[in-house]
Amino acid sequence: MAAPQSQSKVVEWIDHRLPIFTFMRHELHEYPTPKNLSYWWNFGSLAGIMLVIMILTGIFLAMEYTPNVDLAFDSVERIMRQVNYGWLIRYIHMNGASFFFIVTYIHIFRGLYYGSYKAPRELLWMLGVLILLTMMATAFMGYVLPWGQMSFWGATVITNLFSAIPVVGNDIVTWLWGGFAVANPTLNRFYALHYLLPFVILGIVGLHIMALHTHGSNNPLGIDRKGPQDSIPFHPYYTVKDAFGLGVFLIIFAVFVFYFPNLLGDPQNYIRANPLQTPPEIVPEWYFLPFYAMLRSVPDILFIKAKLAGVIAMFSSIFILFVLPWLDTSPVRSARFRPVYKWVFWLLVIDVLVLGYVGAHRPEGWYVFTGRVATLYYFVHFLVLIPLIGIFERPLPLPTSISAAVTKGGGKLAGAAARMEKP
Amino acid sequence: MAETARPGPMDAHGPEGGTRRDFLSLAATAVAGIGAACAVWPLITSMNPASDTLAAGAPIDIDISGIQPGQQIIVLWRSRPIFIVHRTPDQIATLKADKDAGQLRDPNSSADQQGAYAKNVYRSIKPELLVLVGICTHLGCVPEFTPQPGSISPNWPGGYFCPCHGSRYDLAGRVFQNVPAPYNLPVPPYHFVSDTVIRIGENPPDSTFDFNSIEQI
Amino acid sequence: MLKLTLAIIAALTLAAPALRAQEEATPPLPHQSWSFEGPFGTFDRAALQRGFQVYDQVCSNCHAMSLLSYHDLSGIGFGENEIKAIAAQKQVTDGPNDQGDMYQRPGRASDHFVAPFPNDQASRAAHNGALPPDLSVIVYAREGGADYVYDLLTGFSDPPPGVKLRENMNYDKYFPGHQIAMPPPLSDDIVTYSDGTKATVAQEAHDVVTFLAWAADPHQEDRKRTGAKVIIFLLVMTGILYAAKRKIWAEVH
Repeated sequence: MAAPQSQSKVVEWIDHRLPIFTFMRHELHEYPTPKNLSYWWNFGSLAGIMLVIMILTGIFLAMEYTPNVDLAFDSVERIMRQVNYGWLIRYIHMNGASFFFIVTYIHIFRGLYYGSYKAPRELLWMLGVLILLTMMATAFMGYVLPWGQMSFWGATVITNLFSAIPVVGNDIVTWLWGGFAVANPTLNRFYALHYLLPFVILGIVGLHIMALHTHGSNNPLGIDRKGPQDSIPFHPYYTVKDAFGLGVFLIIFAVFVFYFPNLLGDPQNYIRANPLQTPPEIVPEWYFLPFYAMLRSVPDILFIKAKLAGVIAMFSSIFILFVLPWLDTSPVRSARFRPVYKWVFWLLVIDVLVLGYVGAHRPEGWYVFTGRVATLYYFVHFLVLIPLIGIFERPLPLPTSISAAVTKGGGKLAGAAARMEKP
Repeated sequence: MAETARPGPMDAHGPEGGTRRDFLSLAATAVAGIGAACAVWPLITSMNPASDTLAAGAPIDIDISGIQPGQQIIVLWRSRPIFIVHRTPDQIATLKADKDAGQLRDPNSSADQQGAYAKNVYRSIKPELLVLVGICTHLGCVPEFTPQPGSISPNWPGGYFCPCHGSRYDLAGRVFQNVPAPYNLPVPPYHFVSDTVIRIGENPPDSTFDFNSIEQI
Repeated sequence: MLKLTLAIIAALTLAAPALRAQEEATPPLPHQSWSFEGPFGTFDRAALQRGFQVYDQVCSNCHAMSLLSYHDLSGIGFGENEIKAIAAQKQVTDGPNDQGDMYQRPGRASDHFVAPFPNDQASRAAHNGALPPDLSVIVYAREGGADYVYDLLTGFSDPPPGVKLRENMNYDKYFPGHQIAMPPPLSDDIVTYSDGTKATVAQEAHDVVTFLAWAADPHQEDRKRTGAKVIIFLLVMTGILYAAKRKIWAEVH
């Protein structure tokens, strides 16, 4: 960090009128961060960087893309073949979506494991869920733009979902489509919204970081910082750690972009959209598979038809995350000290992976039953297990403080009696 | 909340520890900077003309046999209008006499707006055929073909009149004085592949004229 | 924590092929060895040019490749004059002329590959209702990629006993459903290679699939080369950053 006098007169002049330099020094340099953050805390910054990469590549793609049903597919292929480095920008954007979701999902599961959603970070968590929702909308619309078979049919299936809404469902779908089916008006508006939403995400991320900086990061022990001995300044410790994590991440990302650019995609989307021919299997991109499985699993329930029930289940699976801070009754944050919850967490991870696997296959035979069990389990986890575990679980004793735990070898009991930390 | 760890990490723990960390930090920042620059480069260069745009800018062959004396046709080359005029013997004689040279900004075509093969009073390979880039060197409008003597003004010898800001050029595309345009209309690279076909976008075999080097398109 | 990482990697590796589950029981695709596969794969220029010849003389009678332009052929080693000559052999619809009519003119390097039919309907009409797909990205648009296209081209045979072919259909071992509207397109010496290579069906199929694999992704050699440079740079950069991280964190640990 530069010493004050080497900060030029220009910097001082600006800072006196608009304190961005003071702000950056406070929020990036001096900002106190728990000293015991593990590499699971890298994923937030990775997500932020992926957002920037997606916006940058997206803008340059937008310079060459044509949002018209007769020209869209060809314009994307033109980018791949004729535009200088167009193939690179497109493959980065295409695989970037997948990697954006990978880091975001890991970031979310980190939060679930360590209780980062608990007080006083409930709003931080809810903003995060809002970011996830917006990401999903953005990714869905972005996938439509190349106007391949999966683009078109995925759009048809998902927009048709809204017809499940009683009374106004069909009108909503017509309104979404701008016509009688997914067609040119739909493509154009999806393009406009796909360009817009990432900047909305940017705004929500700003709020997300503001909320974070109010109370600072959680940490693997789940206990609050007690004083300066528990913290280190964000710069240079976490800037260099985040940079290193970014390097590792970029290597993996580069392997996909340069050597397996189509591995996560679907060959059907290299076929121009044909409204008269449905592909043998309509499958969304992998990051939507668990939700897709839920959508298809739910049978008729009482007076609610399966179609509507599936839609409700799918959206509920995300909305339930909003209220998680209030569903979890445990006074302890981190799963490190919650022996029962720790196993239940991993069961949830397996459940989500099973749902993803089911979502990739036709809803026939064994997949139907498994899908239903897995969907039911998801809701049981949040609505039954989480509240009950919090009440009946006997957590392990918490360390007295972060620095005590760190100096004594990481997370173990420091001495005799240890106080339980109230969130 | 201004709590930070007490031993500052930036304090040099002895000169060797401090220098090594500074070197590493410097190396890390430099390498990351190079990486970022290399990452941004493809984005910037993607805005340069794409392969198909460049291919579409390849030379085109135009059949001039159908152009009547005194007639102009306009074709597109590299998205620009190209004027092709079949000049009449009267027009050729007027140019040869060059009586209005004193009213022109650059009667001898000294500015680099044409290849050496077009650096003559006709500004063309053959006097009967004029080939010009039809973009006014002022601000880019397409000048009107006004070959009729006396049509714009009493002493008008024939040529071009640009409606946007009033620039005037003669029948060899040379710009008049006291008009906003600074340069003669450019002559694109071209040559005769046969008596009836010209190729626009390609110089005659012995010419090294680089169209990108002209003063003003 | 390791469990989580492994679980995610496992899920992705599982999910990717699971996304494209086969629905008809075709035998597993025999794998060919392609010069362009793998991280260090490159294209055999001679095979590319022979493959283009096969496409040009055989396949292009029914199949379009509209996403390619003649000037793209510089990527398979043709020079500017060769490309002009290839393009000039084709008739391209252009216009309207000053009378308002469309007219035919010889092709130029900047033209897209001339399609055999002006639109899908004309193509269907000529093929008993079947539509020969555009081949520009066929290797990416089919599960199994280059192997699938090769196996399909070489997989024609008489139907096994008990299988009745529908009208105008042909039996192919690897086409889903086994009944394909395309008759076997390749036969020995259906083309005469200018470089003298013996034109067996296997050779023709190998060459044309090499060409099609190039056509689907003409920049893939460049992509793999650039990838090697990028990953090496990233490894170095990450190494330096790791050293910096360890140094900076030394006091805290």
